[in-house]
Amino acid sequence: MCSSLLLCLMLQVNPALSVQDLLARIEALEKRVAELEQEKKATAVPPATAAVAHGTGAAPAAITDASAPQYPSLHMTGFTDVNFSATDQSGARSGFSEGQFAMHFVSTLAPKVNFFGELSFTARPDAGIGTPPATGFNPEVERSIIRFDQSDQFKVSFGRYHTPINWWNTAYHHGQWLQTTVSRPEMVQFGGRFLPVHFVGALVEGNIAAGGLNLNYNAGIGNGRGAVLSRAGDGGDVDNNRAWLANVSIRPDALYGLQVGGSVYQDRINLSTGQNFREWITSGHFVWNRENPEIIAEAVNVTHRDYSGTLATSHSQAFYIQSGYRLPFSRRVWKPYYRFEYIHIPQSDVPFRGVPNLRGSVLGMRYDLTEFAAVKFEYRHQRRAPGEPRVNAGFLQTSFTF
Amino acid sequence: MKMRRTVQNISRSVVLAGLLLAQAQPSVQARQAARTDIAIVAHSNLPVDDLSFAELRKVALGDRQYWATNLRVTLLLRAPVSVERDIVLQRVYEMSESQFRQYWIGKVFRAEVASGPKIVNSTDAAIGLVSSLPGSIAFIDSAQVPKNLKIIRIDGKLPGQEGYRLVSTR
Repeated sequence: MCSSLLLCLMLQVNPALSVQDLLARIEALEKRVAELEQEKKATAVPPATAAVAHGTGAAPAAITDASAPQYPSLHMTGFTDVNFSATDQSGARSGFSEGQFAMHFVSTLAPKVNFFGELSFTARPDAGIGTPPATGFNPEVERSIIRFDQSDQFKVSFGRYHTPINWWNTAYHHGQWLQTTVSRPEMVQFGGRFLPVHFVGALVEGNIAAGGLNLNYNAGIGNGRGAVLSRAGDGGDVDNNRAWLANVSIRPDALYGLQVGGSVYQDRINLSTGQNFREWITSGHFVWNRENPEIIAEAVNVTHRDYSGTLATSHSQAFYIQSGYRLPFSRRVWKPYYRFEYIHIPQSDVPFRGVPNLRGSVLGMRYDLTEFAAVKFEYRHQRRAPGEPRVNAGFLQTSFTF
Repeated sequence: MKMRRTVQNISRSVVLAGLLLAQAQPSVQARQAARTDIAIVAHSNLPVDDLSFAELRKVALGDRQYWATNLRVTLLLRAPVSVERDIVLQRVYEMSESQFRQYWIGKVFRAEVASGPKIVNSTDAAIGLVSSLPGSIAFIDSAQVPKNLKIIRIDGKLPGQEGYRLVSTR
């Protein structure tokens, strides 16, 4: 109504103007009014309230006025999810389950010193005491890192990390909401043995322009795997032999959204049987991280060589390729996806004895309820080995950040 | 009488056709009035006068966090529902509002940065902060840039020049 009146008035004042000119002006004026209303609201809100992290569209440090930096400045973010699953696997039960409750902490200690921490609580049927053991939550320090920045090219840190040995492990890890799918690829599954997902030690990292290629690197030394292969050496190095890793990737300016890279990792692992192996992990990744489409592909080879020389050297492989596409309609809240994954463990691989093979597909749909919460529907079809029965499963997950 | 009516009908049709034609071709003035150029203004101590678009994107994405060893980048961005933010998200980030938010939550989560851009709610606040915070840059409508503020060139171009990339045309 107002727009129509304004249009008539402007036509009377200046008949030379075309209707399109006037509509363009009205649109600009409406935008300006929205801006002014926004500014008015902002001045009415105390600065401390206006500095809400997610609400303003960015990060913990969203501020509205000039203030001298204060140290330490602690900010918290959380991630969690709730799941429902049903499967035709014999002996398996369907039902609801709580996902990890992860708290993420960031604190700036000085202009070039930051602390990053992550604490998780994982629901387990046997976390409590008594017989049978009561259900409960296992607390875990997932990450605890202090980092000193010399420049963009050189940063040094110490602590417990998500091992930068492949892309998924550092990009998403405990943030289920961040990842498109319900589940992680099995090769980086929580509690899995295939890759050492955590690392205790020191890292140097940085990025170099490299003529527009934007080379990122990580190099680290640490305790490697613990006596239980799925665990990092949190309490100390079990074999007085450090693991080391190096990771390099590029993100070319000319192909915004592309990341290609690879890693190497070497460790000595000691089994309870007394056997010792040299572990050599190599991996590569290709990521097109725009949502139209999203393509993530990773491949890993793990080599185990017996120090005594009595067993044959074994090579285990895993890879996955995932693709998603953010549909352009309905406010772009729907995102279908598909992933194929494969794990092959030869029988000769003694350290990975008991780690299952896998050939499976995941097909799903992500629906973003809000900017900070999503619902995902997923169908999974898996086969562990030729001749074994195929397993079908359905999942529903709501995941969010807070 | 019939002749008069016919002439009237023809003249009405000609006027109507003229009006339709005028609506189909917006004037040059209107196009210029609808164009918004976003200037990148910076604190006076910034040791940079010109950035390539790729470098600007690295700064905006938090991939470049230091101008020099002892000078950290402080990125100031308007809160949602502003022309400046819309243009920066479209042209530099090439992201929607929700993708942008997810990007920064993920970036902090991965421990790549300690914080995201600082949010300002008005052009005046952006100008005030960029004048007082060393290493800061802000995106503001070029029509509202005060004369004493440093403007960063993008690929050698200033707002208003042909080929300047931080521009919106409606």
